[in-house]
Amino acid sequence: MSPFLVRRLVRLMVVILGVSLVTFAILHASGDPVSLIMPEAPESDRAMLRHALGLHDPLPVQFARFVGNTVMGNFGKSFFHHGQSASGLVLERMPTTLLLTVLSMALALMVALPVGIYSAVRRGRAVDQLATGTVFLGQSMPVFWTGIMLILLFGVQWRVLPVSGWDSWAAVLLPTATLSTFTAPLLLRIVRSSMLEVIGLDYVRTARAKGVSESLVIWRHALKNAALPLVTVTGLQFGLLLGGAVITETVFAVPGVGRLIVSAIRQLDFPVVQAGVFMLAMIVVSVNFLVDVLYLYLNPQIRIR
Amino acid sequence: MKRWFALAIAVLALVGGASAAAAQAKDTLVVALVSHAPTLDPHMHFERVGILVNINMFDSLLHKNAKLAYEPSLATSWKTLNDTTWEFKLRKGVKFHNGDVMTAEDVKFSFDRVLEPGKEKKKSPQYGNIRAIKEVRIVDADTIHLITDKPFPLLLERLVFFPIVPKKHIEKVGDEAFGTTATVGTGPWKFVEWKRDQHIRLEAFDGHWRGKPAFKNLIIRNIPEVATQIAEIKTGGVDLIRNVSADLVPELKSHPQTYVSSAPILRVHYVELDMREAPFDKKLVRQAANYAIDKQAIIQKLMGGLGQQVATVVQPAAFGFEPEVKPFPYDPKKARELLAQAGYPNGVDVTLHSGFVEFRPVFEAITQMLTEVGIRVNARMWDPGPAWNKFLQAEGKATNGYYGSWGNYSVFDADAVLHPLYHTEPGGWIGKWYTRVEGLDKLIDEARSTLNQPQRKRAYSQIQKLIREEAPGVFLWTQYDTLAISKRVEYAARGDEWLWLFDARPKR
Repeated sequence: MSPFLVRRLVRLMVVILGVSLVTFAILHASGDPVSLIMPEAPESDRAMLRHALGLHDPLPVQFARFVGNTVMGNFGKSFFHHGQSASGLVLERMPTTLLLTVLSMALALMVALPVGIYSAVRRGRAVDQLATGTVFLGQSMPVFWTGIMLILLFGVQWRVLPVSGWDSWAAVLLPTATLSTFTAPLLLRIVRSSMLEVIGLDYVRTARAKGVSESLVIWRHALKNAALPLVTVTGLQFGLLLGGAVITETVFAVPGVGRLIVSAIRQLDFPVVQAGVFMLAMIVVSVNFLVDVLYLYLNPQIRIR
Repeated sequence: MKRWFALAIAVLALVGGASAAAAQAKDTLVVALVSHAPTLDPHMHFERVGILVNINMFDSLLHKNAKLAYEPSLATSWKTLNDTTWEFKLRKGVKFHNGDVMTAEDVKFSFDRVLEPGKEKKKSPQYGNIRAIKEVRIVDADTIHLITDKPFPLLLERLVFFPIVPKKHIEKVGDEAFGTTATVGTGPWKFVEWKRDQHIRLEAFDGHWRGKPAFKNLIIRNIPEVATQIAEIKTGGVDLIRNVSADLVPELKSHPQTYVSSAPILRVHYVELDMREAPFDKKLVRQAANYAIDKQAIIQKLMGGLGQQVATVVQPAAFGFEPEVKPFPYDPKKARELLAQAGYPNGVDVTLHSGFVEFRPVFEAITQMLTEVGIRVNARMWDPGPAWNKFLQAEGKATNGYYGSWGNYSVFDADAVLHPLYHTEPGGWIGKWYTRVEGLDKLIDEARSTLNQPQRKRAYSQIQKLIREEAPGVFLWTQYDTLAISKRVEYAARGDEWLWLFDARPKR
């Protein structure tokens, strides 16, 4: 394995440890789950529950136990969904979240690539202007608001799509569209600017001078070099998309991990939040690792550095 | 461009039409809740959203009708034999969804399942509700006795939600399956499927002893976001949503597809004051705080009129309510005078906490009104989790008072609010830290340790006069439960916040 990859792998481990420390610390600073599980119960009952959940131990002990268990892939049992393992609850919902995220990313790329390339090639024309305007609009809208607006438009006003849910392909459309408005504008901008940079370069001019067809110049020669920043940003955006999925899932009542985490946070269900955040972080870290690997393919120079 | 747009819409219509445009089938009722309980097992959770589903699948010994009067359910009659023994006659021939006939064994099993006699740690979070029951005795096939450790006047209230579950079935399938995939009761609807975070689907039970409910299918959807719930009810995706906030009421009232139904519920708002510390150790300051709040203005302006001012924390619907005791009027002048008399002519600084995020504007109005008369409030708002942390772990010392609400556990009895809020024994709730009213503990104990209702009533009357004078808190109002309902369904909000959907009917 190349030293580059080894370095990345080590970094991956550090990130994972950091993520678990941060989730553990923030959660425990934010409140007492026992008071929330039984808000109107006498203290004697609470003490009993606190003991049963292991919350009476000092924090370092709880953290050591948490890390130890995490290594074994055991996040403990949910406080709220009693009897069920936290990782089970998360894994059960993971396919939904991944589907939503991947579809949104695909949709975003499907829009960003052609439109971005087109506006770079036809710089300053109507399509470019329109795209720039849309980018501006898309980036200024919070996902939450976009989601509700799309619901009002397609669900309430025109009645062509279900308002919420996840039980038909039609129901998948709105959340996917919502989530991709979150990421498409940025990708579009990246495609456009890196294409602009590349098509001014000598080798593109040479290719054109050799009489290579315009579409081949753009898609084959220019895009491969322009894709580098796009790959980086796509990797980074994947993490943001998973974050955006939290909100989108809540708005559209999608049964995914994000929504599980949101309600677990409200219930101070530590094991579920930790399992959820940890597994999402794992995905983000792995995607970024993949991006690094992809780099090696796209730009062999990295190997030398 | 325009043509493309029209085409896009047409395609969307084709794709989405199937599920979106199809209105709910006539015999299906769809209810939205913000979440589902972790289990369908009615004894193993403490969630309002779970109770609302459970009551439509299970029966308890007693039921309350829409006017909140007791009605026979699985028990046809009941009486006390002495101060600690209650006799219940069971309904004959009641069938569980799996065809088994309900017996006295099932009743005993249900209680023992929660009481777990002899066990140190109880697994049911509902144990506290019925811990007063010492023994469940089967007398004959149709008679059981419940024996309490001491006179327990709240017993009937506690039995209104205490579902009877099938012994044989649970022993066969186990607790886990009973709560998730094999839920069986005697109620109007039986279990069909539960898709996590999506919906619970129920179907009318042919053998239900009351007869068949008007709606064949009952679907309880899980939609966490209120704005989404509103969009769903406007488009017919759901038929009933709960907890409609004041600002949304006008819109849903005038919408062609929906109407609004509300009822005062057993949830009282109050500011509990720390009587251990200055300045609220002085009665005059506490009274001043009560005079300082314009409750009517807040109810009208901030709560859409959906509230009813109360004199103390005991509400008109609860047993023991004393109508003679009148609410504090709004009188800022008097408040300033009392404050001066108490030794604070230039006002005083206090801190108030709240974890009641849904009522943030109300909390802000209260603190503003107190500040105006000279009780200058440093208001701190927390999310409920951190709020409890701050409040309970510091024994309430982080603050001079706490704005919150108490739901009585839906028990229509003065004890259900007086004991937790004002009793100082360790088993009490916030009263044990904040309240220091001489003689109050004794009166509360007296009223809860007899079954003699006139005697209890007298004690509660005395208590309400005492706390109106001593003002251990700022007394505010009772909240309303507000439902938005599709016009194709006939139903009305209940004072106990139940969704007893057996009463729901299709319109026309």
